[in-house]
Amino acid sequence: MLTLLRNLRRLRTEIGLPAPRLGRSLAIRHVDAGSCNGCEHELTLASSPYEDVQRYGFGIVASPRHADVLLVTGTVTTRMREPLLAAYNAMPEPRRVVALGDCALARGVLAAVDEIVGPVEALLPVDLRIPGCPPSPPTITQALLELHDAGKRRTSERMPGAGLEPA
Amino acid sequence: MTYRDRIAAALEEGCRFAGLYANDNVVRTVLVATDGSLRLESAAVENGSVATIVDLTPAAAWDEREAADLYGVRFDGHEPLRPLVIHDLELTSWTVRVRGDDAYQVAVGPIHAGVIESGHFRFHVVGDKILHLDARLFYKHRGLERAAEGQTLADGRLYMQRACAACAVSNSLAYAHACEEILGLHPSAELARVRTVLLELERAWNHLNDIAAVCAGAGLAAGNTFFAALTERARRLNERFAGHRFLFNSVQLGGSALTLDAAAIATTREELASIATDSKRGWRELLFNSSFQDRLPDIGVVSADDARALGAVGPAARASGLADDARSRSTRLAYNGFEPVAPRRVVGDVQARLEQRAVELLQTFALLDDLLDRPINPAEAVTARETTAVGLGLVESPRGATLCAVEHAHHRVTRVHLRTGSYANWPVVAHAAAGNFLPDFPLINKSFELCYACADR
Repeated sequence: MLTLLRNLRRLRTEIGLPAPRLGRSLAIRHVDAGSCNGCEHELTLASSPYEDVQRYGFGIVASPRHADVLLVTGTVTTRMREPLLAAYNAMPEPRRVVALGDCALARGVLAAVDEIVGPVEALLPVDLRIPGCPPSPPTITQALLELHDAGKRRTSERMPGAGLEPA
Repeated sequence: MTYRDRIAAALEEGCRFAGLYANDNVVRTVLVATDGSLRLESAAVENGSVATIVDLTPAAAWDEREAADLYGVRFDGHEPLRPLVIHDLELTSWTVRVRGDDAYQVAVGPIHAGVIESGHFRFHVVGDKILHLDARLFYKHRGLERAAEGQTLADGRLYMQRACAACAVSNSLAYAHACEEILGLHPSAELARVRTVLLELERAWNHLNDIAAVCAGAGLAAGNTFFAALTERARRLNERFAGHRFLFNSVQLGGSALTLDAAAIATTREELASIATDSKRGWRELLFNSSFQDRLPDIGVVSADDARALGAVGPAARASGLADDARSRSTRLAYNGFEPVAPRRVVGDVQARLEQRAVELLQTFALLDDLLDRPINPAEAVTARETTAVGLGLVESPRGATLCAVEHAHHRVTRVHLRTGSYANWPVVAHAAAGNFLPDFPLINKSFELCYACADR
């Protein structure tokens, strides 16, 4: 166990990821609406020591009830339409929808027409589109950072002082 | 001899059921003979029905249910013929009735709590004990097989590749083998070598991922992170090797354009050796972590007899004592003299399935080191035999034997069927769960680490 932990500490030093600016947080609820499992595998490795998306305060949460972001992978199948809408409807406001990967964006979808509803935007208002087949872990992290910081700018414009950085 | 008699005789001879699918007015069953050759048995659909073979080989249960749902074939004697792919039905139509004091159901999914594919599990439990599990998948059914119909043989590959990113090479290769059988082509030695390398690279990252997954299932964050880091390194290596982290489009019909010079090969070998060394180190740590090891034995047990009857394949089957590996009899790939390896305790529990991955991983690294002894050059398949109407391909994916059957007219797909290792093993997961405690299910499930996308298509 100690060896595992020592190894991870060495790995962290070697990779040398820059320390992020503090004061960020995103609770993400992932829904697979009909993917090929590629986006899931890349999203999982966004948490590996090489990317460590948690260092920005971004984390996958177990319930849509306390999620800020609904992150959807895959083209929406007829069978995932209702569960996807249920997850969205369970989220508190303000909420954001992210379509992850080319299938979710209706790019080069391979499927029988009557088995799918369409891209995510056919059902939900999409705030962020992350293209790629599948998008790599750094691409996912960067896109989420942009979504977060853009949201923060919007908030500070509406409510002076609300978006201030911590000292 | 009737269709049923032919299947019964083949099973008697030691053939293994490898898949069943329906097409226009015909049902076709594929069997693997003991020498590794594939046999096709067909039965005409008369008045909408065909005799069932599920009593002869329970492994055919899901295949018959799928053919009934998607092609409207009735299987006489398969009672009750519960729906599998069709949703929107009464709960009682697709679940097994469980009666008795205090028996109740726990419904999980299709959306799960982590980054997990969509699928629904309905546990019948008393207290914490699982009596029975009905797995309802196909939430991700995209109709890929139907969508591929009418495509050229070359384009059909994209649909099979899209079935699953984790098994993209295996599925593409099973399809390519089937098409090459149709076209009367056989891979040259160089093509067989390149494809074997790609298949083993896919196995390497998947097995690393699966070991990480079991660590996550047991709550060992350090082990999970360690093996996730190795998975990342393996995927980066894939990208350098073939231009894609999941090796997409590296398998093509009839040939390979992949070129790697001596320097690129040397870099690849060096990185593989380094990942292998670190995997061994990590595995050793897991072996000596007693609180982790205590979580693994004697749960999710699948006996050898049950594994055989249910048609288990891949690491899951080998961990139960079935020394079955499509690599040992592959005539189209470069696995000369391949012999499956086994864990220390071949008892079909979570520990055995985990250790199976670990020992296979080392075997994969050794194979890759042997195969990557010279630069890789473009290669082609050569004309070797008669063309056929139906082509079959069988490949050992990271999750087990994956069958692809292709039928065509004028080199356009008229029917394609992909039966992956995950598809074969899902009923085995349900069987393994029964008798265990509900909180152990995530760990049992992780010890199989099956794809939903592969099964749903």
